Amino acid sequence: MLAFQNKIGKGYVIASTYVSIAITLLIFIILFWYSFEAFKEIGWDLFTRNWNPATEEYGMLSMLYGTLMVTGIALLIAVPVGILTAIFTSEIIPKQYRLYIKSAIELLAGIPSIIYGLIGIAFFSTWISSWFDLASGRTLLTAGFLLAIMILPTIITLSDDAFFNIPKKYREASKGLGLYTYEVLQKTIWPLAKKNIAGAVLLALGRALGETMAVMLLVGSIDKIPDPFYQVTSPGQTITSKLGREVGESAFGSLHFSALNAIGFLLLLLVITLTIFTQIYFRKKQEVL
Amino acid sequence: MSRKLKNNLFKGSIYTASFLSIAMLLFLISTLIGKGVSAMSWEFLTSESSDFGSKGGIFYQIIGSLLLTLSAAIISFPLALGMAIYKSEYIRKNAFQNITNTLIYSLNGIPSIIFGIFGLIFFVNILNMGISWFVGGIILAIMILPTIILSSYQSINSIPVSYRENAASLGLTKWQVIHTTIIPRAINGGFTGLLIGLARAIGETAPIMFIATAFSGVTFPNSFLEPVSSLPTHILALAQQATNPQALQNAWGSSLVLIILVFIFSISALVRRVQYSKIKY
Repeated sequence: MLAFQNKIGKGYVIASTYVSIAITLLIFIILFWYSFEAFKEIGWDLFTRNWNPATEEYGMLSMLYGTLMVTGIALLIAVPVGILTAIFTSEIIPKQYRLYIKSAIELLAGIPSIIYGLIGIAFFSTWISSWFDLASGRTLLTAGFLLAIMILPTIITLSDDAFFNIPKKYREASKGLGLYTYEVLQKTIWPLAKKNIAGAVLLALGRALGETMAVMLLVGSIDKIPDPFYQVTSPGQTITSKLGREVGESAFGSLHFSALNAIGFLLLLLVITLTIFTQIYFRKKQEVL
Repeated sequence: MSRKLKNNLFKGSIYTASFLSIAMLLFLISTLIGKGVSAMSWEFLTSESSDFGSKGGIFYQIIGSLLLTLSAAIISFPLALGMAIYKSEYIRKNAFQNITNTLIYSLNGIPSIIFGIFGLIFFVNILNMGISWFVGGIILAIMILPTIILSSYQSINSIPVSYRENAASLGLTKWQVIHTTIIPRAINGGFTGLLIGLARAIGETAPIMFIATAFSGVTFPNSFLEPVSSLPTHILALAQQATNPQALQNAWGSSLVLIILVFIFSISALVRRVQYSKIKY
C-alpha cells in the first residue's frame, strides 16, 4: 500500500510537470505552425510597409515601427522618473514610511491595463489633442505616455529594492569622507546598484512590448509610419494593437490569419529572447556577489 | 559647477520626479474612486446590462469574471503544486533544473495577447470547443501557472534539509515525507502565489476577448461551452463608445468594481506574505 501511494504521488508530480512543460512548448509550436504559411507565402515581404488583406499585402514594418516607438517613448519617460523616485523612496524618506509607499506602488502595478486604457481615453487623449492642437488625441505619443505610467511602478519598486539592498556601511563610509548625497549616490551606490536597475528596466521593457489593451485604445490604429518618422503626434499601430483589432475579424485558416500569427510569433520571439537574456544576466550576477 | 550646487540640483530633480510620480498615482486613484463612486448603486451591481451596456448594471459581468477566475484557480493550482514539488524534491540534474526554469520564465514572459491567439487556435478551433468560459478559464490558468509554481517552490525550498532527513529516518517513504513535511508548506506558498495570479487574471482582457466572452445578451451559462460576459471586456466595449456619457459613466462604475476585486486578491496576498515571512525554521 505504501509503495503504491509512493507511486501515485510520484506519478502526480511527474504528470503535472510534464503537462506544464508540454503546454509551454505547445504555445510556441502552435504559433509557429500557424504562421508557417505566412512565412512561406509572404517571406521577406513581411518587412514592407503596406498591410492590406484585400490585395494580399502583409507588411509589418509600420507595426514594428509603432511598437519600438511607443516602447521607446515609454522608457524615455519612465526610466529617469522611476529611478529618481526610487532614490527618493530608498534614500530620502524615513524607513518606517518606505513600506507603506512601496505597498501602495505595488498595488498600483496591479491595476488592469484596460482601466489605464479607459483613463487614457477619458483624459490623456483630450489633453494631448489640445496641447498639440490635433484633431484626434489618439497618437503614438499618447500611447507611449500612458505606457510610461503603466511601467513606472515596476521600475520604481525594483530599483528601490536595488538601492535599498546595498548595505548601510557603504553610505556611512562615503559620508564619513565628507561627500554630499549626490556624490555618495554617484560614486558608491550607483556602481553597485546599476546591474539590478538594468534588470528592472529590462523587465519593464518586456512588459511594455507585450502590452495590448491600453495601447490598442490609444495608439490610433492606423498602419502607417509618419513622415518625418519622428513625428510622434500622429496615429500609428503597434504589433499588439494590430493583433487585438484584427484577429477577431480574420477568418481562421486564411493567409490573413496566418500573417497575423506571424507578427505575433515575431513579437513572442522578441519578448522571450529578452526574458531569457534577463534571466541569464541575473543568474550570472548572483554568482559574482 | 560647485559641489554644493550639483548636490542641490540633483536633490531638486529627485523631488521633482517623486512629486510627478506621486501626483500621477494620486490622480489615478482619485479619478477611479471619484468617477466610480458616482456611478455606483445597488441597482448597478445587481441588474442586467442593456442597450450595449450604456444602461443597466453589471451583474452578469461580475458573475462571469468570478467564474473565469474560479475555474482558472481550480485548474492551475494542483498542476502548479505538482510541478513545484517535482522541481524541488525529485529533479537532481542541474541541466533539467535550468530547462524547467527557462520554460517557467518564458511562460511568464509571454505577452497576454499571445495567450488569446493560442486559445483561439488550439481550444476554439482545433479542439472545436467554441467560444466558452471554460476555454477562458483554461487560458487564464496557463497564464498564472508560473506565478504559483515559483511562489510554491520558494516556500518548499526554504524548508531545511534536516526536516526531510528526520522524516525519512522515521522510516517514512519518500511520498510520506513529502505528504507530511513538504505539502503543507507548498500549499501555503502556492496559495499566496495563487492570489497574486488571480489579481492579474481577473483584470486581463487580451487573453479572453477572442475566446471566452460575448458582449450582449449573456446571462448565467448553462454549460461549460457557453460564453460569459466579464468586467474587463465590458469596460473595453464601453470605452469604445466613450462619446456617450452614459456608457462612460458605466465604464467608470465597472472599473471601480474591477479594481476592488483586484485589490481584494492582491492585498490578501500581501498580508499573507508579511505573515509567512515571519516563519523561522
